[in-house]
Amino acid sequence: MNLGTRKILDNSFTAVGMGSIVVMALALLVVLTPIVYNGVGSVFFTGTIEHRTMLYKEFGRGDAKAIETQTATADRYRAEAYRMLSDFEQEMEGMSLEASRQYRSKYAPVRAAMSSLLGPLPGDPVPMLTRFQYGQTRWEKAEEKLHNILYEKKWDYSDPTVMAKAFDVPRAEEFAGTKLAPLFSYAERHLADMMQPQFTVYWGFFTDRSLDAHIFGGIWPEIQGTFFLAIGAMLFAFPLGVIAAVYFTEYAKEGFFTSILRSANSTLAGVPSIVFGLFGLAFFINTMKVSESKSVLAGALTLAIMILPTIIRAAEEAILSVPKTYKEASLGLGSTKWNTIVTVILPAALPGIITGGIISLGRAAGETAPIIFTAAVSVGSAIGIADVFSSPTPALSWNIYNLASEHEMASEIRHVQYGMVLSLVSIVLLLNLSAILLRAKISQKLKG
Amino acid sequence: MTEEVKTDGQRSSAFVVSPQKRKMQKLAKNAGETLLLGIASFVAIIVLFIFFFVAVDAIPYFQLRGFTEFFTSTGWYPADEPGEFGALAIIYGSAMVTFGSALLAVPMGIAAAVCLSDILPFSVRQYAKPVIEMLAAIPSVAFGFFALVILAPLLQSNGGPLLMWTWWILAAPFLLLAVIVAADLLSARFAQEENRKKMALLLQSLFGLLAVLVLYVVGTKLNAIEIITGTNALNVSIILSFMALPTIVSVAEDALQSVGRELREGSYALGATRAETLLKTVLPAASSGILAAVILGIMRALGETMVVWMASGNSSHIPDPWYNYLDAVRTLTATIAGDMGEADQVTGSERYHVLFAMGLLLLVISFFSNLVSERIVVRQRKILSGQ
Amino acid sequence: MTAEHKESAVEAQATATRDIYIPSERASVSGGGRPHVVAKDFSIYYGDFQAVKKVNADILSQYVTAIIGPSGCGKSTFLRAINRMNDLIPSCHTTGMLQFDGEDVYGKLTDEVLLRKKIGMVFQKPNPFPKSIFDNIAYGPRLHGMTDRKQLQAIVEKSLRKAALWDEVSDRLDRNALGLSGGQQQRLCVARTLAVEPEILLLDEPTSALDPKATAKIEDLIQELRGSYTIMIVTHNMQQASRVSDYTMFFYEGELVEYAETAQLFTNPKDRMTEDYITGRFS
Repeated sequence: MNLGTRKILDNSFTAVGMGSIVVMALALLVVLTPIVYNGVGSVFFTGTIEHRTMLYKEFGRGDAKAIETQTATADRYRAEAYRMLSDFEQEMEGMSLEASRQYRSKYAPVRAAMSSLLGPLPGDPVPMLTRFQYGQTRWEKAEEKLHNILYEKKWDYSDPTVMAKAFDVPRAEEFAGTKLAPLFSYAERHLADMMQPQFTVYWGFFTDRSLDAHIFGGIWPEIQGTFFLAIGAMLFAFPLGVIAAVYFTEYAKEGFFTSILRSANSTLAGVPSIVFGLFGLAFFINTMKVSESKSVLAGALTLAIMILPTIIRAAEEAILSVPKTYKEASLGLGSTKWNTIVTVILPAALPGIITGGIISLGRAAGETAPIIFTAAVSVGSAIGIADVFSSPTPALSWNIYNLASEHEMASEIRHVQYGMVLSLVSIVLLLNLSAILLRAKISQKLKG
Repeated sequence: MTEEVKTDGQRSSAFVVSPQKRKMQKLAKNAGETLLLGIASFVAIIVLFIFFFVAVDAIPYFQLRGFTEFFTSTGWYPADEPGEFGALAIIYGSAMVTFGSALLAVPMGIAAAVCLSDILPFSVRQYAKPVIEMLAAIPSVAFGFFALVILAPLLQSNGGPLLMWTWWILAAPFLLLAVIVAADLLSARFAQEENRKKMALLLQSLFGLLAVLVLYVVGTKLNAIEIITGTNALNVSIILSFMALPTIVSVAEDALQSVGRELREGSYALGATRAETLLKTVLPAASSGILAAVILGIMRALGETMVVWMASGNSSHIPDPWYNYLDAVRTLTATIAGDMGEADQVTGSERYHVLFAMGLLLLVISFFSNLVSERIVVRQRKILSGQ
Repeated sequence: MTAEHKESAVEAQATATRDIYIPSERASVSGGGRPHVVAKDFSIYYGDFQAVKKVNADILSQYVTAIIGPSGCGKSTFLRAINRMNDLIPSCHTTGMLQFDGEDVYGKLTDEVLLRKKIGMVFQKPNPFPKSIFDNIAYGPRLHGMTDRKQLQAIVEKSLRKAALWDEVSDRLDRNALGLSGGQQQRLCVARTLAVEPEILLLDEPTSALDPKATAKIEDLIQELRGSYTIMIVTHNMQQASRVSDYTMFFYEGELVEYAETAQLFTNPKDRMTEDYITGRFS
């Protein structure tokens, strides 16, 4: 091969390596950007009068006077729309049976869409579920519903070889000549008047309870549950892990038994997380009966087992990196071994140990599989600290799955899901970031 | 004088204690160490317990139904009466997404590890490492959410063009490289010294045309593909590969770092380029450590639950044709997670036990993978330290 | 032990037949010259390797004894054996007898923790704990049960004064000790050792990591402490040995080759090997 080709190969090799790292950074960016962008939208968004009314009625927050005047304005514009609906309903009464039936089936979706946009229509009974008691609380959702009012979605099956394609048919054409016809242009023109959009900062998203399975309200129960589980896991795993690390670094004599113990540690680190869930169910709940069924305690114990190897490894590394001279100095002053460990070695290793602890805390907060069978419930309110021994809790990780995959209105509450994902990712990444910074500080200190 | 003698007398025995006290000291020391040992053994006990309790709940299934159905049938109808528990399709699904993610993650991971350990200057590495750590830290459910809510609709609506562009971006540089190398090698073999450049140019244009043709034909083929469902094996494989990458990179980097500088210098001194040094000297020397990295990365993908549960489609059949990554699949982990909800109300049912059987299968695989990778790492360390 | 016992012990050792020169009592240090540490056929092994071979020597109280010899001659090993720091190395074991104040250092009833309290040690590299200056000095007294803040303050001041460091750090006792210069750190380590009121100070090449100025200060300090403590110093630097010590031991390949008054050993060595070493023919 001539030298030119070898040089080209050499450079391409470098490019491949750099490319892989760039791809990883891009992947991080691609995953995080929509999560951050849409997640922020769960707190900062354009809210409608329905949002403010809901907050006032359900949580007792907001400026009652302003809401009253805005509601009055919105109601004035809505009254016009309601009038058109009732006019058309009367008109249908007077139609021929055939025409009336035809219009009725077309009218039903319009009425449903109006109700979904504005809340219960006049004359309707107050719905049971909170989700139907209010109209759209977010402006972009209101615009979506307006689209549903204006257009009918139809499917084009003309070409049987490819998948059917959707297309929109304006409803104004279908109702041309009736008393409903002006509604469509009216709704389009006066959407803002009817909904009173306003830039909203909803900090309550993090601290409010959820309403009607997260259709409205905040995610406090999930945040609290996540903290309970993660901190509970640390309470068990951290002391155990540090003591085990002390044993491995300061007392263990190299030999068969010690190597078995070390192997056990790495085996535990490699166990798939779902298997921890199975074990937690079979051992803590079905055998030990730490609680009747799922509970925060059972979940925290399961998570503790999962993070134990990480803590042990980090603590071992931190202890080994403490200069041997510290130990010599302390022993030389007539200190016992245990005293030396407690007063000199552990304090010096503490930043490193805490770094490992923080990373494990993040891992415990983010894991889902181990708590599915042991601690997590989909819908629930925040539990008291005294209930951790007996009750399960909602948790961010589990409810992200649940809301995104199993909620009956999953696509209607994407903003809540994004908000949850952003909260979870922020908690975990902030913990990791602080660990990274702490470690950088330590290495700087060691360099002097 | 007398006073000094008195203090002297106290001094002389200051460090000698009574036999009883010495005995007590020994006793306390031994008791303390035993206590520490007990706590350190806790992990080993837990590992034993995990095997025991998962096996205890798995064995009743095999006692009742034997092994044949589980490993050879694709019929998974756990809710029927009597249920069918053929896990073959599910095992195949797990294998498929694991293999797919490994296919993406292994070359990228090794390339990135090499780049981190040998190519990037320290100042850049400082920023690259946290990126990898953050990628590792993102909770699996967040990746799952991304796969389900963003990637899946994207694949479903723009799958064909997406595949085409990916193919072009990825394949074009490699084909170009192949053209150059092939032309170089062939011209060196067949042409005389004076004609070599002309020959190389000719071959390059010939191969170049061929490469463009391949790019175009495959591209249009890919463009025409319509992806029926965005929640499929491809989606999951892509996401899993990014979850396995940090593990592969960090373990492989450790392996590369442990190869001494002398080896590299020896190769450079013989006039090798950096790529040649790394490919022919460093990578072979670190190969066993890299193998361990690959095993650990694969285990990460195999054991992952949330992503596959949310975005694999959860359809328990073997895709048609068997290599069709655009089809929905179902994996062991997702099955355990998804079915336990219905099964655990009737603790002790076959459906409950078969899920533990799946857990046991995962556990055994992870145990042996770990054992093997640990052995490999230890052996490499021994070889490199010259024992 | 009574005064009579002590005298008879001295006599017994003086009359015992040894192939090692036992220096006579010097008048320059009042009350000193008692055999403080006594080695009899004392050997140290690392596994099968004999690092120190059958050493016989008396270390006299209140004097400064230097240990010199080429690298790997066992001088540090011997020093670290005196307060049993070698216990940290699992393969290390000893034979023969090593006595401190007439009691067996390696005896079954010896509490090595109490022993190390009596025999302080300063290491090659300054090794202050990553704590404040005050906490560094107070570490030892606190270990041995002192909690009263006033008492601790008194001890800290006394120790720092003894180590000639008080004037430099008295206004920043709460600062991290790692912020001190290397020489100050080493004097801090001496002060820290003095705070537990040892009888013997073992200095293991205390100036090898320091610059000449800091070295001079440590040497001055050793002169200051001479007469109050029995001091043993391992050093690579023969000028240092001749400057600071009253007696010098020369080790070669684990053997104690010559042990004499410093002035005599450096001007008129009895052994050929010693002469070669101090004249720089090998190192």
